[in-house]
Amino acid sequence: MKEDDKFKEEVNLDKLSDDENIILDAMGLNGSNRRKFLKQVSMFSLGLYASSIFTSEIFADTMKDLPENARVLLNEVMVNLRVNKVVKPITIDSRTSLLDALRERLALTGTKKGCDHGQCGACTVIIDGKRNLSCLTLAATCEGKEITTVEGLANNGEMHPMQQAFLKHDGFQCGYCTPGQICSSVALLEEAKNGEASYVTEDLKTIKSGLTLSEEEIRERMSGNICRCGAYNNIVQAFKEVHTGNEEMPTWEFATQEQMDNAKNA
Amino acid sequence: MRPFKYTGAQNKDQALQAFTATSHYLGGGTNLVDLMKEDVERPDQLIDINNLDYKKITSNENGGLTLGGMLSNSETANHPEVRTNYPLLSMAMLSAATAQIRNMASNGGNLLQRTRCPYFFEVSMPCNKREPGSGCGALNGMNALHAIFGYSDSCIATNPSDMCVALAAIGATVEVQQTDGSSRMIAFTDLHRLPGDRPEKDTTLMQGELITAIHLSEPEFADHYYYLKIRERSSYAFALVSVAAGLQVKSGVITKVGLAMGGVAHIPWKLTKAEAFLAGKKPTSENFEAAAALEMKDAKPFEANTYKVEMGKNAIVRALTQAYERTV
Amino acid sequence: MTKTINASGVGTAINRVEGHLKVMGKAKYATEFPVENKVYGQGINSTIAKGEIISIDTSEAEKLDGVLKIITYKNAEKLKDFDKEMTPIATDTIAPVLQSNKVHYYGEYVGLVVAETFEQAQYAASLVKFEYKKDPSAVIDFEKSKSKAYTPDNGSNYSRGNMEQGLSEADSVVEQTYNTPIEHHHPMELHAVIASWDNGKVTAYSSQQIVEDAKIAISGTFQIPKKDVRVISAFVGGGFGSKLNLDRHVIMGVMASKMVGRPVQVTVTRTQMFTNTNMRQQNEQKIRVGAKKDGTLTALSHETLSHTATNQEYQEPCGMVSKMLYKVPNNEVTYKLIPMNIQVPFAMRAPGEATGSFALESAMDEMAWKLKMDPLEFRIKNDTQTDLHENRPFSSRLLVECLRIGADKFGWKDRKPEPRTNKKGNWLIGYGVSAASRNSPYQKTHSKVILKLDEDKVFATIQMDATDIGTGSYTIIAQTASEYLKIPVEQVSVELGDSDFPITPGSGGSWGAASYCNGARAACENAIKTLKNNGNIAEDEEVAVSELLKKNQLTKFEAEGMAEPSAEFAKYSVFSFGANFCEVWVDKDTGMYRIEKMVNVASAGKILNPKTAYGQIIGGLTMGVGMVMAEQTHVEPNFGNFITRSFADYHVPVNLDMANIDVIFLPEEDKVANKMGIKGIGELGITSVAASIANAIFNATGKRMRSLPITPEKLIVAGLEPGITA
Repeated sequence: MKEDDKFKEEVNLDKLSDDENIILDAMGLNGSNRRKFLKQVSMFSLGLYASSIFTSEIFADTMKDLPENARVLLNEVMVNLRVNKVVKPITIDSRTSLLDALRERLALTGTKKGCDHGQCGACTVIIDGKRNLSCLTLAATCEGKEITTVEGLANNGEMHPMQQAFLKHDGFQCGYCTPGQICSSVALLEEAKNGEASYVTEDLKTIKSGLTLSEEEIRERMSGNICRCGAYNNIVQAFKEVHTGNEEMPTWEFATQEQMDNAKNA
Repeated sequence: MRPFKYTGAQNKDQALQAFTATSHYLGGGTNLVDLMKEDVERPDQLIDINNLDYKKITSNENGGLTLGGMLSNSETANHPEVRTNYPLLSMAMLSAATAQIRNMASNGGNLLQRTRCPYFFEVSMPCNKREPGSGCGALNGMNALHAIFGYSDSCIATNPSDMCVALAAIGATVEVQQTDGSSRMIAFTDLHRLPGDRPEKDTTLMQGELITAIHLSEPEFADHYYYLKIRERSSYAFALVSVAAGLQVKSGVITKVGLAMGGVAHIPWKLTKAEAFLAGKKPTSENFEAAAALEMKDAKPFEANTYKVEMGKNAIVRALTQAYERTV
Repeated sequence: MTKTINASGVGTAINRVEGHLKVMGKAKYATEFPVENKVYGQGINSTIAKGEIISIDTSEAEKLDGVLKIITYKNAEKLKDFDKEMTPIATDTIAPVLQSNKVHYYGEYVGLVVAETFEQAQYAASLVKFEYKKDPSAVIDFEKSKSKAYTPDNGSNYSRGNMEQGLSEADSVVEQTYNTPIEHHHPMELHAVIASWDNGKVTAYSSQQIVEDAKIAISGTFQIPKKDVRVISAFVGGGFGSKLNLDRHVIMGVMASKMVGRPVQVTVTRTQMFTNTNMRQQNEQKIRVGAKKDGTLTALSHETLSHTATNQEYQEPCGMVSKMLYKVPNNEVTYKLIPMNIQVPFAMRAPGEATGSFALESAMDEMAWKLKMDPLEFRIKNDTQTDLHENRPFSSRLLVECLRIGADKFGWKDRKPEPRTNKKGNWLIGYGVSAASRNSPYQKTHSKVILKLDEDKVFATIQMDATDIGTGSYTIIAQTASEYLKIPVEQVSVELGDSDFPITPGSGGSWGAASYCNGARAACENAIKTLKNNGNIAEDEEVAVSELLKKNQLTKFEAEGMAEPSAEFAKYSVFSFGANFCEVWVDKDTGMYRIEKMVNVASAGKILNPKTAYGQIIGGLTMGVGMVMAEQTHVEPNFGNFITRSFADYHVPVNLDMANIDVIFLPEEDKVANKMGIKGIGELGITSVAASIANAIFNATGKRMRSLPITPEKLIVAGLEPGITA
């Protein structure tokens, strides 16, 4: 059987519900990209898409810009926000943070508001290649900048390797800090390549590009992203796997019957 | 946040021209935007200076480096010249905040960081720094994180910057642009001021002055340096106490010392007595301890921050020891 | 095509079924639903701890463009109020707000501004001026108010045997007091709602752990029929107890929507998360423990002094663990509460056990040290298979196995009993252990399964009003359906978090997994049973569900199911057990310390998915590390506000604070607990961390830290225990 046919059979590509098709369209996926995406998620419950909540309401791009009600915008600023390679011109209140512009004006709610004061990292986005906090960035200052949010990491529907690794290593629980963690991790890959240092770097003077980060280095450099669920160890594993290319093994195990017997009879 | 006019400046002249008494320059915004959200800072105009061309690191005539005022903290700390010749500065800067914040924060902005005193942040509390004359809530309140040196009845807050502690140890000159187009130089140790009865003024900058550069003199502590930061969690926290230590050791004798503390005063606290004591002495633990004791005997802690005396003494000794024993 | 066993059923480590939505930023949390025409609400907080509002000036705020409404007690909708003083807080408690000019605590909501934009709502809120008459009798200082403590009338005081006699029989007595501070849950997702009032019908996209109780609370507060309320919590960005009940911002949102005629989004700010969502209160726990020379426990008492609000009551059951964990004939557990002008506390992850076991398991370590016994052996010696508190057997209890297997994995035999003898450079190294236990309830749960036949394949949808607060509910429910329908998990879809779906107990108290999965199982079993009956197929005949549908000539079939505890369940005490081992390195000069490694052993019944179960354990451990290292909320002594008011002040653990953690699950199926053998695991992790670290710090430094958190500032000035030399 050709792989494609096999896959078709697995996920029943031709038999997707209308809802599922709407979602996949909304995600901009068609043809082989759609297939690729479905293949990635075929290990998981496709059926999630079929729910009333998880379909039209979730994926519909119905959030419009604010009504033409200019009087409520104080100190209006026109800014062309270039987000995920698409330029979106919007008129904003000068006070609007990039985070609120993304979430409340552009319906890009993947970027999260965890504290709104630069104290948690949930709002991390990548601006001109660097990880930044969108809650402390005024949207007005973003003219001409290249902004990448979690929604922009996938390439033609194929999840970024970091997204795949987070999924595989369960680098999240509630999922709320996850977009920030992933944007941060993606930027950190580049920082390591560039040979950037951290507070725990032993030798600041001879540090070179193409770093392989130790676990301590990864932890320190990912400490700007708080995960209250406590998935840090899994986040480290996910990052490591992408960073080094080596498979990371889980650190859980089941006690053997022998261990159980020994413990009981000790 | 109060409404404000956003003015994007493309060059120095535009920025200076736009300045009014109630304006603020907007750099990285990591401190200013936060404080505006808290209603602590209330400018009616923000002048965005992110496009100003103060983003270079160049060699200066004193054999040192000049750091652009608008260069980000991460680019500064990671610059090969800074890492090689001023590793103490790199280390201190890298201990601060997080990668995201260091990517945003500018050097000039870091120097102007405001205190983390919770009474300053909470507008329903009294605070002379935020609202002159309203009183100091911390004085008879929660002051475990507050100053043990140089405070006044008006204000017992501390300066939160790590970069500044290293600069106090290393020594630097700050170049500022004035609104009339002229510029002036300020010795780093003259930039910050003790609270006295004007705690609302963190620095000696005059209205509208813009930090354009930080000039470092010839590197002295490239071999023996350490920045120790004691905090409640291992990262992403302000210092309870920090120490920047730089040593120059020749033939077993200390020839030059740069030593400063953070988390203990309204300004980065330069340990001049300890520096003077150690110069010309051997780098022994006895001498390090004597130097630390010399500084800490002047501490005037509150009941809740008495720990800072013991912690500070240990931190000075440890930082000096680490600096001296450094092998890389 | 009808492969009956698949690799994705119960027990396998599949990836989370909703995971792709989370990593792609597509999972929708409360305020992320595209509700048209919404406006923004911003709550205003009181700035006194007790007293009355004497005037309100809204003029400046009203002048602002885009401000639609300013709601205070003067113009608020009339709501149902509490029937009596000191109403105990529960998960379905009403949440009246803005009903009078009285202020009960600093930060209590006194108003809400509704505006067209978030920016304008926030700004306008700062312009509303309140004038107060301060009542100087505000109780804001725990230490100074102990004489005001009362014994709560909830029957939680307990004793067996004779405590004093037990102490007199002891060769050694340890009597110590352990303090834990106010802590806050701080889930990453701020509490938030988009509330719509539409002709008496309420829709609330709200971040809740229990949607049914949120629905009850809304209907109760507004006195409208339950059927007119719909609560949707499809994704919840963490809860930890803070979202068990309905908080007042939801009520304000609904009220505002009714008043302005548009949907209203209200997000609680991170600072408001301190004052306007739940918290764990300060506890002062006094333990007295007596033991014979050989380590036999003779007496144990556990007295807890906490605080509650002046108008609502909550008592954390800190002494729970002392009643049941060890074989001790003489036992006494008491509680006292100080009514304070601070918001009402409520359950935070493992209420009772998290704080209670810090006290008990520290005292056990102190006793072991006093008796010169290995703390591990001391615990094992006092193991019991009977719950002496309830006087009934444990459904299963593998605590000794947890301790021994963990000790082997950890290398406990290398522990140096004498403190300050394991050193490396500037580090003092210590090992610590603590036992873990957590009640594992299981509650009545409904669910629905919808089967659809498509050619040869059956696609199943499970619906229930359960929530996934990061616990993995979506995944384990999908695995359960896969298991009982014998179809691959890819053919299962799970729909949760909608109060229109069948009722479940929601997520909390470690009951979620057992309740949800057994509920889903019941629906699947019912579906199969009914299809067999209708198709005249013997119940014990193995027939694929696709064949069953075909035999019934159906392409679609729905069935409901309900699971609840059996009569047998009530005859046993059902607890999860565990043990945590910890190696800590303490810097001798700075007071900073790092956790080098931890080994955690969990005996929690059937492990439904080791990947998500591991997440629950390390999550509990991480929160426990926070509890030990830095988490504490300070009350300002002169004003009564939380001076710890941001994420920069309240230090939760960061990535670098965590260590390598090995987790060992014991193979166990507790069929008394429920048909699937599941026990809770979400809270088990946190119950053993604090004491294991504190005990390791003692082993490292000789300093006994009896007050959490153990910060560098405390460690550096703490003295050595008697008999220990530097």
